[in-house]
Amino acid sequence: METRILVSNADPVFQDRALAILDENADLEIQIVRTLSEAVSALLNENFDGLIIEGESGLAMDQATNVRQHFPSLTIACLLHDYRRAQTQGIANEQNIELLAMSRNDRLLRANLNGFVRSLDSHPGTAAEGIDPCHSLIGNLNQFSAAEILQMSCLSQRSGRFTFKSSRGNSEIYLQQGSVRHAVFGSLEGEAAVAEVFRWRQGRFYFEEGIISQDQTVNRPWAHLLIDNLQKLDETLELVSV
Amino acid sequence: MRDKNLETKLRLVSLQLDNWKRLHDLITYGLDKAKPIISSEQERQFTEVRSNLLQETEYVLRELNIVAEVSGKAMSVLQRGVSMRGVRDLPSDEIRRLETDWNGAFTKLGLMQGQLKARRKELADQSVVEYYWNLFRDRLNRRPAAAH
Repeated sequence: METRILVSNADPVFQDRALAILDENADLEIQIVRTLSEAVSALLNENFDGLIIEGESGLAMDQATNVRQHFPSLTIACLLHDYRRAQTQGIANEQNIELLAMSRNDRLLRANLNGFVRSLDSHPGTAAEGIDPCHSLIGNLNQFSAAEILQMSCLSQRSGRFTFKSSRGNSEIYLQQGSVRHAVFGSLEGEAAVAEVFRWRQGRFYFEEGIISQDQTVNRPWAHLLIDNLQKLDETLELVSV
Repeated sequence: MRDKNLETKLRLVSLQLDNWKRLHDLITYGLDKAKPIISSEQERQFTEVRSNLLQETEYVLRELNIVAEVSGKAMSVLQRGVSMRGVRDLPSDEIRRLETDWNGAFTKLGLMQGQLKARRKELADQSVVEYYWNLFRDRLNRRPAAAH
């Protein structure tokens, strides 16, 4: 399975050193975009293992921070032409963004980029569930969005575990008496994990009645989560049209 | 086997084709009388695409060795299409010329992309040793026969 990377580069024809290095890797599929709105549009429509934003540090970090707000689980790296560690490291750590220096030395740059590519997990778990008698509800996210399914289950005061499986990975959301109690997706927990599942357009889901989580990472009522996440999704879609 | 130059050319031709497609979408919208409103956002996108093409076309065509064939047509499209509203106001013979020139440039670039992809596929099946062996054999076969 190929690793897919989205590269945002405002001038991919003339500033193509990093692209040329990434092209050398036969197991890597890269898609190039020039603007933030194109990047968001591509991220909404397709799955990528990582995003590299190339450019001057101010603009690239701004764009990366913006993308992070909308795609909390995405692996993002900024390839900075004017890398100044002291200025950008703090924000990068806070936003979980990897910083790569656009070194003048090709070998160093190659090592930086290959390190980032290796760090990407190109084989997330794929949906492979069969029909199990304990699954009281099974379906496809193409037909029902996560928001619709959760809304329906919360309104009917259900308790149990939802498992969502897509090419991005698996996520679990636990309900208790019609409220979301706990959510987990990879390293994300709580509301961030719920927000991630809201964006999924493809994948499968099933519900297992009666499985309760001991952990509680979501403390807000479902209605608040729904409104916030739908608003966030709207904001993401607005970015595409800018 | 992966050829660095081939990959670069493929990347350049793909980026160039993307821009020509976008330009065409915007021109088509501009010419569609059923869609009377051209927004400032669409005009901005048009200018953005046109500016990318103006900057990059000559360079890309030179890298692909097709300057002589395509440059004239590409420049003709970019000079005629100054804005979406400008395209809408062009006389019909100018519009026809614009479409013909766009088609000429797009067709040549599309063909080039196909040829490069075919070459990449061919190379992917060869190991480095096979590649250099074939190169050596070709050179050997091309050597002129010794005079008697």
